[in-house]
Amino acid sequence: MKAFEYAAPTTVDAALKLLGGPNAAALAGGTDLLGRAKDYVTSPDRVVYVKEIKELGGITGDAKSGMTLGAATPLSEIVHHSGIREAYPALWQATSEIGSIQIRNMSTVGGNLLQRPRCWYFRAGFGLLGMKDGQSLVRAGDNRYHAIFQTDGDALFVSPSSLAVALIALDASAKVRGPKGERTVKVEELYRVPRREGESELTVEPGELLTHVMIPAAGKNGAYEARQKQAQDWPLVMSAVNLTMQGDTISKARVVIYGVAPIPWRSEAAERVLVGKKFSPEVAAEAGTAAVEAARPLSMNAYKVPMTRTVVKRALIRAVQGKGYWEEG
Amino acid sequence: MTEQKPRDPGGLGGQSRRDFLRGSGVAAATAVLTGQAAGVLDEAQAAEESTKVLSGTVEITLKVNGQERSCEVEPRSTLLDTLRNRLDVTGPKRVCDRGSCGACSAIVDGELVYSCTTLAVSCQGKTIETLESFETGEGSVPHAFHQNDGLMCGYCTPGFVTACKAYLDKHPNATEEEIRKGIDGNICRCGTYVGVLAAAKAAAQAKKGA
Repeated sequence: MKAFEYAAPTTVDAALKLLGGPNAAALAGGTDLLGRAKDYVTSPDRVVYVKEIKELGGITGDAKSGMTLGAATPLSEIVHHSGIREAYPALWQATSEIGSIQIRNMSTVGGNLLQRPRCWYFRAGFGLLGMKDGQSLVRAGDNRYHAIFQTDGDALFVSPSSLAVALIALDASAKVRGPKGERTVKVEELYRVPRREGESELTVEPGELLTHVMIPAAGKNGAYEARQKQAQDWPLVMSAVNLTMQGDTISKARVVIYGVAPIPWRSEAAERVLVGKKFSPEVAAEAGTAAVEAARPLSMNAYKVPMTRTVVKRALIRAVQGKGYWEEG
Repeated sequence: MTEQKPRDPGGLGGQSRRDFLRGSGVAAATAVLTGQAAGVLDEAQAAEESTKVLSGTVEITLKVNGQERSCEVEPRSTLLDTLRNRLDVTGPKRVCDRGSCGACSAIVDGELVYSCTTLAVSCQGKTIETLESFETGEGSVPHAFHQNDGLMCGYCTPGFVTACKAYLDKHPNATEEEIRKGIDGNICRCGTYVGVLAAAKAAAQAKKGA
């Protein structure tokens, strides 16, 4: 990796000043940034270590009033937090499946949310859109792990954060601080579809720092993921859902899917099926079917369509029933 | 700086192969680094923020296996490369160098991490443990690996031993299923997982009995 300057400030204010210079990058757990630096995909001139800034750490609040996660909170802290496990099973399930024990000890909430896509064309230096000589390498090449929604566009990678999918289902917000002050956005607003090469898929600007994630009180929520390997892998497809119930009837639904689009994919089609209905496994299956209606897979990833249908159905069943019919014990 | 005891001399006229390779590597590295300003401090920035901006080469002190060890590194140096190439702590192995295989596993402030994906400068003031410091007597994790044939080529073994110890220290009553998940951040390309799991279970059992 290219040599860089390094600083480890102890306050957010000091970190923001240090991040103000050209080509500076914030470093937390390093599990994404250092890998990219080693591959010369990202070559910062200055690295600002923020993982140990006290005001960025910790989990506060409770299930009733909502919880706040510091951006530098290690993922292992979420896994060990019994309050999160009870109130936000979607978040707990998503987090406990990330990477490995080492990855979860090292990586942080902010780092996971702002990690760059894992698309192999991007990681090999062909940019987010993977274009070469005016042709999409993704479309013509190996796209088995790429998007199935909005595939008429140029951005075919998939958004890499499964944590984001859970947090968006839980209607969480993010606090971002920069030289111009602080702003609060919905977690889904951290992401966008890049329209041209050189445009980032993240809306956090250089020089800004994600400081906190705020999760409001949640309804019945859960997550389910389909994966190739049991450990050390990203999900192929994953879904997190959050249902507000009035008695037996679903009054509000949030269904978000991972692994299918360049942004965490909110399925309003699935949500429309759910709202106003009494929950049943059949309704869950109907929502799964609705979720994939707009899917247009690429040459090698049609398998994701039936997979997404099932993953959405199972996430819903898990959210409402706690445990699915496919689980032992 | 605490010097490590010299190893038993191997071949090459009293130098082990590793000492020989390291000697020539250090000579080459010094030749490159003397050309750079060592330990440059961006003073204007530092005065403004009272945060040191490190660049070039910097002197750091790391607490490795109970000893304070000093050495010169660049800010980009990983903990793994610093341990192996600067401090002669060669237990953690460099395999994938991308935080995927676990061969470089080390315990930093009680938490298991991939040392290949951790910057050495960020570990100052922390407690770093590698398997060199582990007990090897009966009932220990290294002993259990020996007794249960938990290795084939042995390259992943230091990482697995470290991962097992870190997990069992925190979860002495772990079930087999939990142990599987607890050490799933490590890979063995020979596929000796059956032996590794047997060793981990034996070590857990010994821990409970102790």
